[in-house]
Amino acid sequence: MGTFKLTTVEEFEAATNRLLETGKKVGADGWQYRVANQTPHCKFGEQGICCRICAMGPCRITPKAPRGICGCDAHGIVARNYLKFTAGGAATHSDHGREICHTLYCTSPDGNYKVKDPEKLIRIAKEWGVETEGKDIYDLAHEMAVLGMGEYGKVFGTQNFLKRAPQHTQEIWEREEIAPRAIDREVSCSLHMAHMGCSSEPKALIRQSLRAGLSDGWGGSMAGTEFSDVLFGTPKPIDTEANLGVMVAENVNIVVHGHDPSLSEMICEYADDPEMIAYAKEMGAKGITVSGVCCTSNEVAMRRGIPMAGNFLQQENVVLTGACEAIVVDVQCIFPALGPLSKCFHTKFITTSPIAQMPDSDFIRFSAENAGENAKLIVKTAIENFKNRKPELVYIPDMKQKATVGYSVEAIVKTLDGVTNSQVDVTGTTKPLIECITSGVIRGAVAMVGCNNPKVRPDTAHIELMKKLIANDIIIVASGCSAQAAARAGLMSKEAKDLCGAGLKRVCELADIPPVLHMGSCVDISRMMILVATLAKDSGLNISQLPVVGCAPEWMSEKAVSIGNYVVATGIDTFLGVDPYVSGSDQVAELLTSGIRDWVEASYTVEKDIEKLGDRMIERIEEKRAAIGI
Amino acid sequence: MTLFDVVFSGNDAAYGLAEGAIDAAIEKYGADKAVSFPDTAYSLPCYYAVTGTKVNTLGDLKNALGVVKTLMTREQRLNDAFMSGVATALCAEFLEVLKYVDNPTPYEAPCAGHLPDAAIRELGVPLVTGDIPGVAVILGAAPTAEEGVELVKSYQAQGILVTLVGGIIDQCVEMGYKTGANVRVIPLGKDVTAVVHAVSVAVRAALIFGNIQAGDAAGLMKYTMERVPAFVNAFAPLDPVIVAAGAGAIALGFPVITNEETFRVPKSLIVQKDISKFNATSLEARDIKIKVTKIDIPVAFASAFEGEIIRRGDMQVEFDGSRVDCCELVLDVEDASKVEDHKIEVIGPDIDEFEVGSKHSIAYVVEVTGKSMQPDFEPVFERKFHSYLNCIEGVMHTGQRDMIRIRVSKDAFNAGFRVKHIGEVLYARVKSEFAAVVDKCQVKIYTDPAECTRIRHEVAIPMFDKRDERLTTLTDESVDVYYSCIMCQAFSPSHVCIVTPERLGLCGAVSWLDAKATHELDPQGPCQVVTKEKPIDERIGEYEDVNEVVKKLSQGALEDVSLYSIIEKPMTSCGCFECICGIEPLSNGVCIANREYAGMTPIGMTFSELASMTGGGVQTPGFMGHGKHFIASKKFMKAEGGVARIVWMPKELKDQVRDRLNETAKEMYGIENFCDMIGDETVAEDPETLLAFLTEKGHPALSMEPMM
Repeated sequence: MGTFKLTTVEEFEAATNRLLETGKKVGADGWQYRVANQTPHCKFGEQGICCRICAMGPCRITPKAPRGICGCDAHGIVARNYLKFTAGGAATHSDHGREICHTLYCTSPDGNYKVKDPEKLIRIAKEWGVETEGKDIYDLAHEMAVLGMGEYGKVFGTQNFLKRAPQHTQEIWEREEIAPRAIDREVSCSLHMAHMGCSSEPKALIRQSLRAGLSDGWGGSMAGTEFSDVLFGTPKPIDTEANLGVMVAENVNIVVHGHDPSLSEMICEYADDPEMIAYAKEMGAKGITVSGVCCTSNEVAMRRGIPMAGNFLQQENVVLTGACEAIVVDVQCIFPALGPLSKCFHTKFITTSPIAQMPDSDFIRFSAENAGENAKLIVKTAIENFKNRKPELVYIPDMKQKATVGYSVEAIVKTLDGVTNSQVDVTGTTKPLIECITSGVIRGAVAMVGCNNPKVRPDTAHIELMKKLIANDIIIVASGCSAQAAARAGLMSKEAKDLCGAGLKRVCELADIPPVLHMGSCVDISRMMILVATLAKDSGLNISQLPVVGCAPEWMSEKAVSIGNYVVATGIDTFLGVDPYVSGSDQVAELLTSGIRDWVEASYTVEKDIEKLGDRMIERIEEKRAAIGI
Repeated sequence: MTLFDVVFSGNDAAYGLAEGAIDAAIEKYGADKAVSFPDTAYSLPCYYAVTGTKVNTLGDLKNALGVVKTLMTREQRLNDAFMSGVATALCAEFLEVLKYVDNPTPYEAPCAGHLPDAAIRELGVPLVTGDIPGVAVILGAAPTAEEGVELVKSYQAQGILVTLVGGIIDQCVEMGYKTGANVRVIPLGKDVTAVVHAVSVAVRAALIFGNIQAGDAAGLMKYTMERVPAFVNAFAPLDPVIVAAGAGAIALGFPVITNEETFRVPKSLIVQKDISKFNATSLEARDIKIKVTKIDIPVAFASAFEGEIIRRGDMQVEFDGSRVDCCELVLDVEDASKVEDHKIEVIGPDIDEFEVGSKHSIAYVVEVTGKSMQPDFEPVFERKFHSYLNCIEGVMHTGQRDMIRIRVSKDAFNAGFRVKHIGEVLYARVKSEFAAVVDKCQVKIYTDPAECTRIRHEVAIPMFDKRDERLTTLTDESVDVYYSCIMCQAFSPSHVCIVTPERLGLCGAVSWLDAKATHELDPQGPCQVVTKEKPIDERIGEYEDVNEVVKKLSQGALEDVSLYSIIEKPMTSCGCFECICGIEPLSNGVCIANREYAGMTPIGMTFSELASMTGGGVQTPGFMGHGKHFIASKKFMKAEGGVARIVWMPKELKDQVRDRLNETAKEMYGIENFCDMIGDETVAEDPETLLAFLTEKGHPALSMEPMM
C-alpha cells in the first residue's frame, strides 16, 4: 500500500477556520456568520406554504387558515412554488446553453473561438438530419448554432435531443404529455400555470415541473454540453489537482468562478500566453496560476486539467487566502458577498456578464465577439494587481489531492474499449460496464450531483456517501460541486481504488480509472442522461430497470430542482438530502416520492439522515437487481 | 441463480468434500498423523500463503478447515465470491494433500501432482526474461481431442508453460501427444482438485521471489495479479466447483476463458465459443505479448522445446564432441567486407548422406561484424547457442566450446531438417538478439572430418586459450566498473545483483561479460554500470557507489551491501539462485546445496528449506544464494576467510566444481585436493558425523576464527 490518504472534512474545516482568522483581522464577513443570522429559517417558507404570487397576500397556510385569500390550499401553493422553482432552474441552465449556441455561432477559422471537435459537430448534425456532406465545418457550425437556438423557440414539435432516449422512454414522455416542446415555451408555460388564478391542481403543476425539467436536461443543458464539446473539445481523461493548495503563493492567482466556459476558456488561453507570463514576471510574480471554483472550474478541469480550488461554499475561502489577484466570474452561484469581501483584500472581483452584475465589482463586459481582448484585459488587470498584495495576509492551506477527470460519455466508452477482448467483443459500446453490473462485480451506479448547502455539514454528505457506496462496489459518476468535493477529498485519485469493495477495486485496476468518475459541470448531467440511455440500449433494459440512481445530498439551487425533475422523468430514482420546500403538502410530497412513479417509473426519496440515505440507495439498487434476476 | 450464488454453491460442495475426507482420514489414521507435500518448504503452500500457518498433522488440517470456513461469507459482493473461490482452492489443496498420506507417489505418469519448490525456482529466470511468456492452466476436456491438442500445441509453440487438469490429459494421451516438464506441458492430475497444484506454483512464486510474507493475503493477490502471467482455459461443462475455483483464479488475477455460455466479466471471465481462438483470446486477456521468432526451418522453434530429450532410438544422427572433433565458435571479424550477411555455407556432407544412428563431426563458426562489436562479446553469444539449438523441435544440444553434442531426431529429419538449418537458427537468433552490435553475420558449418579437426585445433582451441587467459586476468581488482543486474525485478521487485568478474549473478546466467554486453546492447536496460571508486571497507567489499546504486535500484529497500561477506550485509537473492550456502555452526563453516539436490544437508534443512530462508530481495545474514561458478572464486566469502569455509556440498556439485576449486584452494592456502576434505551426503547428513569427518581430514575451517 502506498501513502495515499483521503483529506477529511475535519481537515477542510480546520483550513477554513484558519482562513476565517485572516478574515477577522480585516473585518470580513463569511457565510458561516450569515447562516447564524438567518437561522431559524421561516417555517412557512421552508414548508413551501407561503404564497406571494399576487398582491393580496402574502398568504401563509396554518391549521386555522387552511386557504389563501383566493382560496388556494396548501397543496396548490406548494406545487405552484415547486413549479416556479423548477422554471427558475430550467431557465438558468437553458440560457447557459443558449449562450454556448451563440458562441458556436461566433466561431471562425481564425477567430477567438474555433471548432475543436468537428467530428462531434458532424455527428450531432447527422442526428438532427442536417446535410454535412461537402459542407465547410464553420458553415455547418453556424447552421447548427442557429438550429440550436431555434430549439428555444421552435413553433412546433419537441426537443431534437429526445430521439437519443430509448424508445420506451420516448413513449413514456409522449404518453404522459411531458415531452418538452420549445425550451422557452416550457419555462413561460410554467410561469403562466403558476400565475395567480391559473393551476392549483398539484398533479398538473408537478407534471409541468417534469416537463420543464426535461426541457432543461434533454434540451438546454444538453445543448450546453454538446456544443461546448464542439467548441472546446470533448473531455478525455486528464490529471489535475484539487483544493485550495493548488493556488501558488509566488504566482499571480486568477480564479475563475461561475458556469459558462466561453469566458474561462479564454482566460486560460491568455494566462498561458508567453507575453502575459513575461508581464507577470515583470510585475514580480513567478508565473500565472489559473484555478477554478464551481462549475466553470469543472469545465476547464475536464478539458485542460486546470486545477480546482474549491466548490460552492469555498468561494469566499479563495479570497481569504489573500493571494487571489482576481476572482473572475460569469454566471450563477456567485455570492454577492464576494464584492464586500474582495474590498477587505487586494482582490479584484471582476464580473463579466450582463446576466450577473453585482455591487462592489469591476464590470468588464465579456462578449463572444470581443472575447480575446476582454480576456487579455482581465488577465492584465490581475497581473497588475499582484503588487497590491498584502504579504502579511497571505495564507494558502497546504492541502490538495490528485484527481483524474474528464470522463465524458465518449471517454467512458473509450476506457471501456480498453477492457474488451478483440477476439470476442465489439468496441464502442457500454457492454463491458453492463457485464460488470450483470455479473455482480459492480452492484450498480450512483450519479452524485448537486451543490453545497449549509443545512448539511459542507461536503460531508458527498464524501461519506461516496465512501460508503464505493465500499459496496457501486461506481460513482459525479458532476458539479459534488465532483469537486470528491476531488478535494481524493476520491478521484486512482489510488482511491483501495477504498473500494473488491469488485469495484478490480474494475478500477483493469480499466485504470478512479472509482468516482468526473463527468463535468452541472449542465453536464445531460452527459449522465446520455450514458444511461446508452446503457439501456446496449443492455436491452429500460432505464428504470437499470440498477442506477441519482443523488443530490447537499443541493441548494433552483437548477438542482430542475435537474431532479428531468432525472426522475428519465426513469432514474433520485435521492435528496435536503427537502425541496414541499413538506407543507402531504399530497405533493406523496406525489413526488411515490405518485409520479406511475407516470415515469421513478420518483424521489428525501432523507436528511445521510447514513440512511446511503442505505436506501443501496437497497434500491439491490431491489432493481433482484427484479431483473441478476 | 446469480454468478455469486453459483460460486457459493461450488464452494459449499468443495467444503463438504474436504470435511468428509479429513474426517475419514482422522478416523483411519488418527489426528496426529503427519501430512505434507513432498519437496516444499512451504507446507501446504496455498493455505500457508493465505494464513501464515503451517499444517503438519491431520489434526492441524481439521483446524485449518475451520479457518477456511471463516472465508466463506455469503454477501452478494465480489469480495465474498473471491474469498469463497480462495476457500475452494484451499479445500482442493486439503483434498490433494490427503492423497499423499502414506503414499509418497500418489500420482503416476503422465500426471505430476504437486510440483517441488526447485521446479518453481527454475521457472524464475525464463519467466522474467520472457522465455516463458505465460502460464496456461487448461481444465477439462475440449469438445474434441484434436481441438484440445491443437490448443496445447499452440501455447507450446509460443513457449507458454502449459499445465493440464482433467479430461484434457486423456485427450493428449489419446492423440499420443508428448507431455512432461521438459517440453513444458505438465499434466497435473485428472481430478479438478489437481488445479491447486497450478495455484500452488503461482503462490510459491510470490513467496519465493516476491518476498510476500505468509499470511499477507492481500499482498499475495496483488503480486500474482501484477507479476504472474497465468490464465485459465476451462472447457464446458462448468460445474459449480469449477466456477468456484475459477473465482479463486480471478481473485489471483488470472482470467478464465471458457466455451460455456455464462456471465461475462471483462478481462476476467470471457466466453469464447471458438476453441481455435482460445489462444489469442487468452493472451489478449492477460496482456501477454509473444516475441515472434519466425525462422525459415521445417520444424518448430520455441523455448518450450528447450528441455526436449532425444533418446537414442529416436535419433537420426548425432554429432559428438567427446568422440570426434567438434566445436562451436563466434568470431568477431574486423574487416566487414569479409562477411556477407545471411550467407550460410555447408562444407562437407549433409545429414541425408549419413547412416541412421551414426556419429559425426561438426564445427560451426559464426562470423559477425559490427561497429560496436567487441571480442569480449564472442563468448557471450556463444553461450547462447545451447539455448538456440535446443529450441529447435527435434534437436538436442549439450555442452559448449569443443565439448558439444548434438542429436537430430528422426522426426525432424523426416520433416526436412538439414545441417544448413542450424545455420539459419544461429543467424536469425544472433541477428535479432544482438542487433545493437551485429551489423552482418554469416555462418560456416563444417561436417567434413578433416576440416573439423583443422578448425578445432588450429582456430578454436587457440581462441579458447586466449579467452581463458583473458578471464584469469579478469579479476575484481583489474576492472574499473561492475554491473548491476535487475533482470529479475519483474518478479522480485527489490532484488539487485552486483555482478563482478569474480562473482557472477546468483542465477548463474549473468557473468560480468554478459552484463557488460547486455549493457552495450541496451544502455537503458537491466544492466547498468556501477563504479567502485569510493571503498568503505575493502575486506567485505563494500563501496559507497555500490550502495548508492543498490539503494536506488531497490527503490530504497536495501541500504548497503557487501560483495564478499555472507555475515555482514550479504547480497540479496531473488529466488532463482543455482545454489544456496548457509552457516553450519558446529564445524565453523558453510554448507552449500544446489537446486538439483533434493536430500538433507547437515544444517538440518533441504535446499528448499534453506532457500525459503532467503530470496525476495531480502538480506539474510548467514544465508546467501549464488551461482555454481562462484564457488571456486577467490572472492567467495572472502571476508570470512574464503573457500576454506566450505565444509559440505552434494557430491554431484562437488564433482562439477572440483578442478577449479582445488586450484583456488591450492593457490590461496597451498592445500592440495581440497575437495577431498569437503563432506557430502555419502559422508554425512548431520553435523556430528560431518565434524568427525572434517576433524579426521584436518579441514582448515576448524582452526579458523569463529564465524559468529
